[in-house]
Amino acid sequence: MACEEVYLLPPQALIQASFLNSETGKAISPEITVWGIGLENLWVKDSVLNAILLPLSVNDTTSYLISFDSVIDTVTFIHETTKKYESMETGFYYEYQLQSIDFTNNRIDSIQILDSLVTKTWNENITLYLRPLSAGGN
Amino acid sequence: MRILRYTFVLCLLAAISYGQAEPEKKLKPKRTDNFIRMKGIRVGVDVTRPFQDVWTKGNRYGSEFTFDMEIRPNLFPTFESGYELMKVNTDYINYTGKGSYSRFGIDYNLLQAEHKNDKDIFFIGLRYGFTIAKQQVDQYIVDSYWGTETGRYASQNFFAHWGEFLIGMKGEIFQNFFMGWTIRGKVRMRQKDLGMPPVYFIPGFGKADNKFNLDFTYSVYYNIPWDFRKSSGDKKIEIQK
Repeated sequence: MACEEVYLLPPQALIQASFLNSETGKAISPEITVWGIGLENLWVKDSVLNAILLPLSVNDTTSYLISFDSVIDTVTFIHETTKKYESMETGFYYEYQLQSIDFTNNRIDSIQILDSLVTKTWNENITLYLRPLSAGGN
Repeated sequence: MRILRYTFVLCLLAAISYGQAEPEKKLKPKRTDNFIRMKGIRVGVDVTRPFQDVWTKGNRYGSEFTFDMEIRPNLFPTFESGYELMKVNTDYINYTGKGSYSRFGIDYNLLQAEHKNDKDIFFIGLRYGFTIAKQQVDQYIVDSYWGTETGRYASQNFFAHWGEFLIGMKGEIFQNFFMGWTIRGKVRMRQKDLGMPPVYFIPGFGKADNKFNLDFTYSVYYNIPWDFRKSSGDKKIEIQK
């Protein structure tokens, strides 16, 4: 009888986004809440962050509602999805190629794609340029 | 100071010995055991194959039979055939790979026999192995924030082949009964790319991710004491009559 075997979890390809002030170009850390459109669970709740990792769906579009200091924007990623084999012990996972990004302009000024390939090796894929709050916050 | 003195003496000795003429090379004596020690065919079963589960990741089982005979003094053509099954069941994947395999090759005995009935051998050998096998992924699961994705891959048939170099020994424990171990270095040869998923397990070889696999086998054998040479000799005599 073999000992209980331990297997690694399958890897995950996550899109990495960082936040910059659209006027100064400096990094900012808004309080953010993130949830996927159509889902009940929040991905991130009330966290002060200067960057975020987001999972994409296996469909060709993935839409998120993102609250930046209580100002909500919708961000939709249009992407190609490819199934990848890691190993027969850890299983399969998905990688993505970003095609374009649609977004609302409540807080987001613009989005720059730095690396359209979303792989299991996380790196900065996009930069979100956020308008500064009029009250003089971030 | 002492160290310096010793170093000097050592250097001096080395210089003196370098200058001396090389001693006369001893010629290796020719083998005197140029006779067939094992008459008939030896049949074996590998006792390690059913228990590979103990030292390999996943559930790997199998059985293997071997046949060899001493066709010329110290030369043993060998045929090995078996069946192996590999299952990997995790939270994310259920995989099965299975198939039968065969190897043929030759062993050369390095151990000089002390007398006519000394059948113990210490050998090196070469094998060519091949398998016609199949694999399938009964279910895979990809978990993410966006939900759980499941799928399966239907059965894929494939052919794979490899070469082996080996070293081992077989000792006679009772009359005609042998036991012995073999260490095998297996080198995978090129194989067709199946696409998704790639071949994971090659029966008889091991994990397909590796170009080289090391294996250990332990077998018990029985030498069928039928002297086919004597029989064929008798026949010739009958024809001459």
